[in-house]
Amino acid sequence: MAEQRNYLRLLTWDPSGRRTAARLDLWQSLSGFLLALFLWAHLLLVSSILLGKEAMAWVTRAMEGAFLSPHGEGYPVIVSVIALAITLLVVVHALLAMRKLPSNWHQYRELRHSQQLLDHADTRQWSLQALTGVIILFLVPAHLFTMFALPETIGPEGSAMRIVAGGFWILYLPLLLVAELHGAIGLYRLAIKWNLFPSRDPRRTRLRLQRLKWAASGLFILLGLATLAVFVRIGLEQGGAL
Amino acid sequence: MNASGRTLTLNIFRFDPRLEGDQPRMQRYQLPESDGMTLFIALNKLREEQDPSLKFDFVCRAGICGSCAMVINGKPGLTCRTLTTASPAGEFTLHPLPAFELIGDLSVDTGRFMRAMSERIEGWVHREKAGNIHVLEERMEPALAEAIYELDRCIECGCCVAACATKRMKESFLGAVGFMKLARFRLDPRDGRDDADYYEVIGSEDGVFGCMSLLGCEDSCPKALPHQVQIAYLRRKMLQA
Repeated sequence: MAEQRNYLRLLTWDPSGRRTAARLDLWQSLSGFLLALFLWAHLLLVSSILLGKEAMAWVTRAMEGAFLSPHGEGYPVIVSVIALAITLLVVVHALLAMRKLPSNWHQYRELRHSQQLLDHADTRQWSLQALTGVIILFLVPAHLFTMFALPETIGPEGSAMRIVAGGFWILYLPLLLVAELHGAIGLYRLAIKWNLFPSRDPRRTRLRLQRLKWAASGLFILLGLATLAVFVRIGLEQGGAL
Repeated sequence: MNASGRTLTLNIFRFDPRLEGDQPRMQRYQLPESDGMTLFIALNKLREEQDPSLKFDFVCRAGICGSCAMVINGKPGLTCRTLTTASPAGEFTLHPLPAFELIGDLSVDTGRFMRAMSERIEGWVHREKAGNIHVLEERMEPALAEAIYELDRCIECGCCVAACATKRMKESFLGAVGFMKLARFRLDPRDGRDDADYYEVIGSEDGVFGCMSLLGCEDSCPKALPHQVQIAYLRRKMLQA
């Protein structure tokens, strides 16, 4: 028995790859963490439109580094670079997270059966996380490419025209819902997975994190819907049609 | 005896894989509830009075042996620790634990799985050389002894394994019972293994880095063992190993 095991170890022995499993898990967590934070920050910045066109125009200029240029015209290419960086993060995160999805019919059937037999909230939420993750993977490239290719169109009027006349509301509405669900569930799971908030009563902490998670999803979805509504109103005022 | 006057309804999964032509089905039984009745008592009454062919396991009746684990109304648990009053409607649906080999009806073979798990993690104290039985063992701080005992309360009932969707999808995944056992030996100063040795055992996608933190283990452990915290702790330690 012992000899056989040693032989197996020799077969799989790979000094450079020994810690790969740990690294992959850490990078899945880190990339997800960064993306979730970006998601929230991004929505907070965009929602500046709720404070008026001037507020959003100011935020846009700031993001384009207007304070760096002598005449305040800014560099929209900064937004392209951010879009590219986020795209890379999405690719890394998707490739790493995909390892966890059911990858064949057998695994899918086992997962289904487990969920039909057992009533377990966290497993259900993981399924939702997996499903929203897949939907994001299909929806987000269009958004990322637009931001990468046409960064100068971002602004109170430009974004409103894109959303209304360009028909991007069809993309943004579902993307908002799935992204805000996915991000909050992901952050909750990170906190659980690495025990980021150690306490004397971990079960109570978990209950609180659960509530916080739903609240975060709900609040950001509401904020996103309000933001989208204002853009649609501006777009319609500018003569666009849905 | 029957203070409540209730009649209990038990919907029980029936299937014997060794009976040729037998088909999985749900069978409905009814019996009068009695005071302080547990599901374990109800099942025994059913077998004595209504259906001697009903298969289910039990030994200790006191939540120590882990034999009577099954899926009770959508949650893995021990029948001997489940009072029939737990259901306001007096109705229970019982399934055998998934993820284990079915012996028949509500009885599954957890023993073979637990043995393989124990061999895989080498769940015993590893010492460089045999201890001298003629001298006293080294003393252990009571707090440490208690911490080890806390993790050693696992009764290998299999609820954590049955509740784990990760384990269902990936059969080679170790499962919470294995992590709990390993965490116990890691605490034990008599065990000579270090984290690099433990990494060899659980530092893979079949080990702690395959766990998706669904917490089925945490939520269905009849002994309320701290699975979430222990697995997170092992994961952090293995990251540094």
